[in-house]
Amino acid sequence: MKALGLAMVLTTAIAGMAVAQDVRITTFRDSSTFVLNGKSFTIDRIQDRDNVLTGEFARTSRQCPPFCIQPMIVAEGVATVGELEVMDFLETTASGGRGLLIDSRLPEWFASGTIPGAVNVPFMTLEAENRFRDDILVALGAQPQEDGSLDFAEAMDLMLFCNGPWCGQSPRAIEALVEAGYPAGKLSYYRGGMQAWSQLGLSVMIPSTEG
Amino acid sequence: MIRTVLAFFAFALVVCALIVFRPFSESQDMAATGSASDVEVTRAITPAEPVVAPAAQAIQPQPQAPRPRRPETSDVSMDDMTASVLADLGFETETPEAPNVEEQQIETTAGILASIESVTGQQVELAPRQTLRTLVVTALREGQSDDYIDALVNEAAATGRVTVPEVMVTSDGRVDTAVLLENLVTHAIIASGGNVPVPDVDPTTNPGVEVRVVQRAQDAVQARFYTVQTGDSLGAIAVKFYGRVDLFDRIFEANRQTLSSPDLIRTGQRLVIPALDA
Repeated sequence: MKALGLAMVLTTAIAGMAVAQDVRITTFRDSSTFVLNGKSFTIDRIQDRDNVLTGEFARTSRQCPPFCIQPMIVAEGVATVGELEVMDFLETTASGGRGLLIDSRLPEWFASGTIPGAVNVPFMTLEAENRFRDDILVALGAQPQEDGSLDFAEAMDLMLFCNGPWCGQSPRAIEALVEAGYPAGKLSYYRGGMQAWSQLGLSVMIPSTEG
Repeated sequence: MIRTVLAFFAFALVVCALIVFRPFSESQDMAATGSASDVEVTRAITPAEPVVAPAAQAIQPQPQAPRPRRPETSDVSMDDMTASVLADLGFETETPEAPNVEEQQIETTAGILASIESVTGQQVELAPRQTLRTLVVTALREGQSDDYIDALVNEAAATGRVTVPEVMVTSDGRVDTAVLLENLVTHAIIASGGNVPVPDVDPTTNPGVEVRVVQRAQDAVQARFYTVQTGDSLGAIAVKFYGRVDLFDRIFEANRQTLSSPDLIRTGQRLVIPALDA
């Protein structure tokens, strides 16, 4: 009887392991873990292979304008990236204090779920209408010069995203940053955004509960 | 297809840029065109009328001095500004306070800096900012003179540290703090149930004021005109004729052809002053 019980526990454990490895990020990794300011984040994928998207990201036909399809390259010199590059960026550049993953959407969207480790900087706060934009740029590492301009040599690398290929908010934010003098080489664009991220079942962080 | 999309995108960008920067707007052409255009336009309105002497003098071209930096304007209306200052001073005002764009921006920006700090661990702080509201409230609390407040606000506006409602910008590019202070008094009177009388403007003692009888098809109406004097703001003109700043809109609407924005009035410009009960 004891042996049977042990066997059952073992079988369950093995089955559990098998399930955990069923939906990996790539062949050789099942999760991405990184630490930002002493706080640990983990990204993995939903393991239920029957899971399908419902709600906002299952929609196909939003009104355009304003929800129009975005180009692959949004600005000269700004790289467009995919999910693996987002995770690499978080693991190396962001956790090394040299970069930030920026969610360009409005605070309500950010609060409903974002990529773990992302910071909410709504696109319009980077536009010239915000009289305090320079304060944000300085927080991102720009150095104020004596003549009132900003030096971006030491500024952080920024990776921006919004709701996905049908969302113009991160392209607008990138445009505003370039116009403010941010070097295009320090910017990148995750075009897939929350749409592609959710489609792949990758971890979504709810900022209000997880910090 | 991509080219077409890119072309449209570029076109949209150019249009947006034109809207935002308004390279052909009157504010930049103003110095060049000067008061010459005023003469033409006002004559076009009343072709048969002889131009009376005071107006003719006022229309003389101004010496082309280098223009000082114009104050930056905000969408905050004079009344919201007044209501918030009065609220800060402990008055019960009649209108609920509308959100102030600048104060919202400060709040949003401070929130963003906090979230950046939470991820990077590097301390960043929003430098303390003053707004027209805090500037005026502090000075009033200190019991400063009108002249002091005027100098203080103008210095802050000239260096771009505060934005002001459009109706406070004068014809010579200064900030008319008198009109704000006057509006504070008017609002305080209204808030305590008082009435603000419409002033009777005497054309013989007020420079720039003209009263004419204009013959229309059916009847004759009395029309008032005002030639903008140096240092006038649209708000001050509204107070002069109507007793209240918030009625500036009547004058602005009646002069849309020659006045593109309430902060762009020019010395020598001739404005139609519509009758209030019309």
